[in-house]
Amino acid sequence: MMATLSRALRSPRLIIALGMVFCIAFCAIFAGWIAPHDPGEQNLLSILTPPAWADGGDPNFPLGTDSLGRCVLSRLIYGARTAMLVALFASLGAMIIGTILAHISGYFGGAVDWVIGRLVDVWMSFPPVILSLILMVGLGVGLDRVILAIVLVDWTRFCRVLRSEVLIVRRHDYVAAARLLGFTHWQTITREVLPATLPLLITLVSLEMAIAVVVEAILSFVGLGVGADQPAWGQMIADARQYVYQSPSNLLLPIFAIFLTVTAFNLLGDGLRRTLDVRLAVTGR
Amino acid sequence: MLALKAKDLEVSARIDGDIVPAIRALSFDLAPGKILGLVGESGAGKSMVGRTIAQLLPPGFAVTAGSLLFEGEDLVQMASARRRALLGRAIAFIPQAPMTAFNPVMSIGAQFDEHLARFGEADGKARRARAVAMLEAARLPRAADLLRQYPHQLSGGMCQRVLIAMAFASNPRLVIADEPTTALDVTLHPPILRLIADMQREHRTAVIFITHDLRLAAQFCDDVTVMYAGRAVESGAARAVLSAPAHPYTRCLQLANPTMRAKRRALYVIPDQMPSLRQLKVMRGCHFAPRCPLVVEECRRAEPVSTALGAGRSAACFQAAVSERIDAREPAPVMAHASTPPVLQVEGLQKTYTMGGTLFGGVHSVTAVQKASFSIAENEFVAMVGESGSGKSTIAKMLVGLEQPSAGRIVLNGEDLTGRSLRGGMRRAAAVQMVFQDPQSALNPRRRVASIVTQAMEAGSRHASRDERLVRTRELLAEVGLPADFAGRLPSQLSGGQRQRVNVARALCNIPKVLVADEIVSGLDVSIQAQLLNLLARLRAELGFAMLLISHDLSVVRHLCSRVLVMYRGEIVEAGDVETVFANPQHPHTRALLGSVPPDEPEASWSALASAAPPGITP
Repeated sequence: MMATLSRALRSPRLIIALGMVFCIAFCAIFAGWIAPHDPGEQNLLSILTPPAWADGGDPNFPLGTDSLGRCVLSRLIYGARTAMLVALFASLGAMIIGTILAHISGYFGGAVDWVIGRLVDVWMSFPPVILSLILMVGLGVGLDRVILAIVLVDWTRFCRVLRSEVLIVRRHDYVAAARLLGFTHWQTITREVLPATLPLLITLVSLEMAIAVVVEAILSFVGLGVGADQPAWGQMIADARQYVYQSPSNLLLPIFAIFLTVTAFNLLGDGLRRTLDVRLAVTGR
Repeated sequence: MLALKAKDLEVSARIDGDIVPAIRALSFDLAPGKILGLVGESGAGKSMVGRTIAQLLPPGFAVTAGSLLFEGEDLVQMASARRRALLGRAIAFIPQAPMTAFNPVMSIGAQFDEHLARFGEADGKARRARAVAMLEAARLPRAADLLRQYPHQLSGGMCQRVLIAMAFASNPRLVIADEPTTALDVTLHPPILRLIADMQREHRTAVIFITHDLRLAAQFCDDVTVMYAGRAVESGAARAVLSAPAHPYTRCLQLANPTMRAKRRALYVIPDQMPSLRQLKVMRGCHFAPRCPLVVEECRRAEPVSTALGAGRSAACFQAAVSERIDAREPAPVMAHASTPPVLQVEGLQKTYTMGGTLFGGVHSVTAVQKASFSIAENEFVAMVGESGSGKSTIAKMLVGLEQPSAGRIVLNGEDLTGRSLRGGMRRAAAVQMVFQDPQSALNPRRRVASIVTQAMEAGSRHASRDERLVRTRELLAEVGLPADFAGRLPSQLSGGQRQRVNVARALCNIPKVLVADEIVSGLDVSIQAQLLNLLARLRAELGFAMLLISHDLSVVRHLCSRVLVMYRGEIVEAGDVETVFANPQHPHTRALLGSVPPDEPEASWSALASAAPPGITP
């Protein structure tokens, strides 16, 4: 454990990623204190003002305003809250469903494995974006619906990758030994198999967070994401699209925010994989 | 001219910035047509010699002094183009693991052809004829058909024959055989060795034969060099060295090996284990001194140089003159006999696997175990022997409940265990335990030793307190002879022998009635094996459990067990008293197994190696 920690602290990739994630999470949590304005507050007298440093900028609105005169910086900060909530809960939800099914499937094998495997096959044959759009049409808009849609689409990703890891761990004699010592199946899975698949699990969660951010942006962009009253980066892009020639920064800033967040989570996933995976740790980078 | 001459060879490794010699002052002469045995336990540096010849040293290792002359040319100084021209042509290799030595996606013929083309045979027809001739010389039937087959279609023994044929196809002057039979079934050892010996005689090839088996070296080699911690401790004519060893290490190794014919005795235990390179860095004096029973003050101060003892023999020891003094003094452990009532009874046990059974393919079944019946008395050690695939492990799995039998009964203390009830499972967990073969895979790398050995105490609804478990850990570690401070270690911080002790301790936690041990000493070195065998004998006397020992090593079986069951193709073909069965085997397979063990006495001739095999017969 200590060895893993010290290895983690020596990885620059992981430190940069953690720093970025921490900054975004800080914005999301303390949005109410940091944001200069209410994200929904409209100033119809100053619409489409450029950023404060440009000609005609207003120091009241550091990154300018949008077509309804709402503060772009505040909307970006509150958008981070939406993005992080979706990333966190959607990836955890997908993880829980996928992990449980993967362990049942890989541990017991046989008919159970076959049924779960085919279910994943069928599920994955739907295009993910179309499936989530259809789900959103059925479920209606809202933060919780977005999370549910992402969970329902992406649990297969966890299930398939983890199942193969469970199959490898299952083959070790210590799993059989635990059964011989009188462990129940549940005990064997939670105390012998799960600790071995945990590093991969953590890595997958981190990568799934990046995917969830992108999917949430797509859904908000087409207006099937969180409600119109809640600021989201996808929505901001959609709004700025019509005025792209008047104020390009309104379009570029939320894109940049998405880019930063996704990069942070991907770096985090890669860094975690390198530090947690025993096989990679032994052979070096 | 000598085929190979090593002169003060030194190979060093870079460890934490320091240069530590892994092989030191190694000298030997190998004349054409002779077989030199390099003998020692793992870590002694014997495989490193082969790697030095091929210049395939692991990263961080390099030759730092001395020379290695192949027919007068130094392999160390040689330009790499010249060495490449020699390797595979004048110097050939026979690998340890035949199944993995082939490219699985190329046919045998294509790989043989590629090998022959490398040394300049341009004509494809001639290459094919040569390949067929070599395979026939290796006593492989239907050689022409074999060339069209792929490695996975061949058995391990056939793969090794093909590799031997390839090695000798270029008429090499030197062949390095690194444990060529270790990965194969025991019954295949004599024919493979005989093949190497015949080929070697025919081509007048010099052979370096790397092995851990002293008895085999005595039979197979002309000369031997015994290695310990990177140093040649003793060398000379094979039979002379092994019938009257001068170095205490050779003597100890012999006494640590269980015998096939001599009176049963306690095994000599060499304490501790061979020093690692890291330990060698700070070691002074003779490297065997910490484990040597004859150690004197002088040994710890200076390292003895190799001194001639006459008739081509030499040993590096101050005490060489008195090494005969070493002897295993303890009396043989008392054997329990089957007079006590049986604790475990197996009646008509059968296991059939059904394969296929897809939508279109037909179902066919394979019988792994057929009508096996036997019983084990209280405190009795019963052995089960047979080649791989004979159903030994399947029986073990059925006994402990990892597999369900297709038919038959397992009765433990008069209670039928065959049912699938959970309570039956719990009772079985308490009474029948298993020690696994590979301690690497059998110990969870994330649990500490204390948590592993008392794992049974967290099973089911048992919730033992921390203190209870700590107390039991201390008892168990003491029983298997490990220091109490090992409780906090992870399996990766243990050596192979220590891991196997933890493995045994875990099985003993619930004080089982029957222990099923699947090849538990096969991966271990002789000195570590002796420690573990003596431990099992002591634990039997102290704890009074019975054991089913699955093994391929008949001398281990004879040492530890009173009865033996011989398995062949899923059936128990012979059963009885170990001494009776070994003295007068009835079934041909039992005879084959017994014939594949080299004799205890180096002077005795080994009939399996001497007799020429009738042509066209391959086991």
